[in-house]
Amino acid sequence: MSVVKEISSVASIALAVDEALTIRRCRYAPQSGGAGRVCLSTGIHGDELMGQLIVFGVAQRILAQPDCLHGVVDMYPMLNPMGLDIGERMTPMGIQLDMNRGFPGAKDGTALEAICHAVVEDMRGADMVLDIHSGTMGKTELFEVRLCARHADALIGEARALSPDLIWVLPDRTNYNATLTAALCDMGVPAMTLEVDEHRRKPQAAAERIVGAIFCKLTQLGIWTGEAAPLPAPETVIPCIRTGEDVCRVSCECPGIYEPQDRAGEWVAAGETLGRVFDALTGEVRETITAPSGGLVFSQRSYSPVYPGTLIARMFTGKCARGGQNA
Amino acid sequence: MKKDILFTLPSYFRDDMNIYAYRFGKGEKTCAVVGALRGNEVQQLYVCARLIAYLREIEKEGGILQGKSVMIIPTAVGASMNAGTRLWAPENMDINRRFPGDVHGSTTERIAGALMERLRLYRYGIQLTSFYQPGSFVPHVRVMDTGRQNPELGCEFGLPYVYVRTPRSADRSTLNYAWQLAGTQAYSLYAGKTEEIDEAAADQTLRAIIRFLGSRGVIRGDATPGHASTIITNDDVLSVTASTAGLLRRVKFAGAHVRRGEQLAFIMNPLDGSVRETLKTPVTGMLFFVQDGPFITEQSPVFQILSGQKG
Repeated sequence: MSVVKEISSVASIALAVDEALTIRRCRYAPQSGGAGRVCLSTGIHGDELMGQLIVFGVAQRILAQPDCLHGVVDMYPMLNPMGLDIGERMTPMGIQLDMNRGFPGAKDGTALEAICHAVVEDMRGADMVLDIHSGTMGKTELFEVRLCARHADALIGEARALSPDLIWVLPDRTNYNATLTAALCDMGVPAMTLEVDEHRRKPQAAAERIVGAIFCKLTQLGIWTGEAAPLPAPETVIPCIRTGEDVCRVSCECPGIYEPQDRAGEWVAAGETLGRVFDALTGEVRETITAPSGGLVFSQRSYSPVYPGTLIARMFTGKCARGGQNA
Repeated sequence: MKKDILFTLPSYFRDDMNIYAYRFGKGEKTCAVVGALRGNEVQQLYVCARLIAYLREIEKEGGILQGKSVMIIPTAVGASMNAGTRLWAPENMDINRRFPGDVHGSTTERIAGALMERLRLYRYGIQLTSFYQPGSFVPHVRVMDTGRQNPELGCEFGLPYVYVRTPRSADRSTLNYAWQLAGTQAYSLYAGKTEEIDEAAADQTLRAIIRFLGSRGVIRGDATPGHASTIITNDDVLSVTASTAGLLRRVKFAGAHVRRGEQLAFIMNPLDGSVRETLKTPVTGMLFFVQDGPFITEQSPVFQILSGQKG
């Protein structure tokens, strides 16, 4: 085998009772030389598990075709190990903070800030970082690549190589600035957030698509010469949200239980039904949720309790005909 | 006193959650006070309840001055308080990270947005808040450095310190920050404990608010004199951080004056009782913050010391 596999500790913080919180990295590298370096991270949010299967799939393919690896692939599958262990989105440890609002962190800061700092420093110099997220328990997502606005021009072409269903350029809001990918981009490291469907009943197919896309990116960077999904053809259109006018947030106004129609990935017309909110106590439908305008449903709520304001769906409503806008 | 419902959040499984505003006086919207924005902010709720009870009596005696008014919102998260959750559980969100909010947005954005719509009308704003880590502060006024802050006015609370804090990324979505940007002179008061009632700190905080309302001409002043406040910044505060983990046993507590090299706490191996680390102060000063959880994690700030002449 011509791949060197090395597991190392990126950061370690002692916990009170006989345990350490350790962020581990597994590096796959060719025996000699290297054509570049890509980092795959996931598990910042402890309630998102899809990245585990994707990283495992990437590792399996590298190990199956070791001679095809010509650069370094660093994997960080458990960035929030305490949260992952109990299925909690935030860092538990008593303070419940969103780790993905804590980057770039600080070497001499709190434990969480020190961990965030160690992670970005370890990724410094990479040719690309892909941070994999997945919908939480109550949501279904298409495969999206999310970019921060101030770095979008440089990254949209990179995002296309992953053949996502949608590219979303997020505005430079202050709280997004503290995400892992935004902090890395600010350090000059190209980084993108991948949002994929959790699809807990049939995760393999969804994961396989993302694994293929990652190998396409590795191929493009000259790191991989084995099996990979093809690059999208130049004429392929990928919907791209660039401004607030390209996206429509659909929410409900009544509390109750939301019963969805499966619209994820569909182009719907204005007025088409997305789902309904019902009341089991009175046996009544409280609200029927319809699409406020035509567009692509790329995010939808699953069967779950809702409050007024709960996100039901997100739709791409950009100025393009059915089939998408060029990214 | 007038009580009105500022916002109602209908619920499916439970009773609707109402956010109440208690108003005293008529005329100019002079000062608004906000209590609990997190489900564990018991002390903050308690201080507001005591303030409402006080103003109710003052109003009966004609003690609210002509043309001035004050509004108090004791809690915006009654449902979380009843459920025993710090965050807004359906979204797993901290409402004090959702400002300025959006009345058409998500549930927590709607709560924040509804609050902001009313609060932005007031000239002065007071938020009773808690720190994200368990611990005790020396009671103080905190104001964000937004470029619009007025720390000198914060001295009118008569608390020992007015802390002008440089905002970090996450601070920019707090009520204090958004309130200042909306044009209100906003102050946060740290009232000692959070999850339990601390009578002494509650009394001190209550007196500070009454002092400020008197000073600003909202109520007839019968407040006891306060401290001559010292204005401090991040540069005046030094952290003492644990370099190991275990059971934290404090020797010194918030407010204590400490001399350089003095022992502040020790960290004990939780299994065999041996001492892993002794925390000492590197400077002479006053303990401004003391972490009070039983467990401590490596690289956690345990103490904040106000050093030099200001301590």
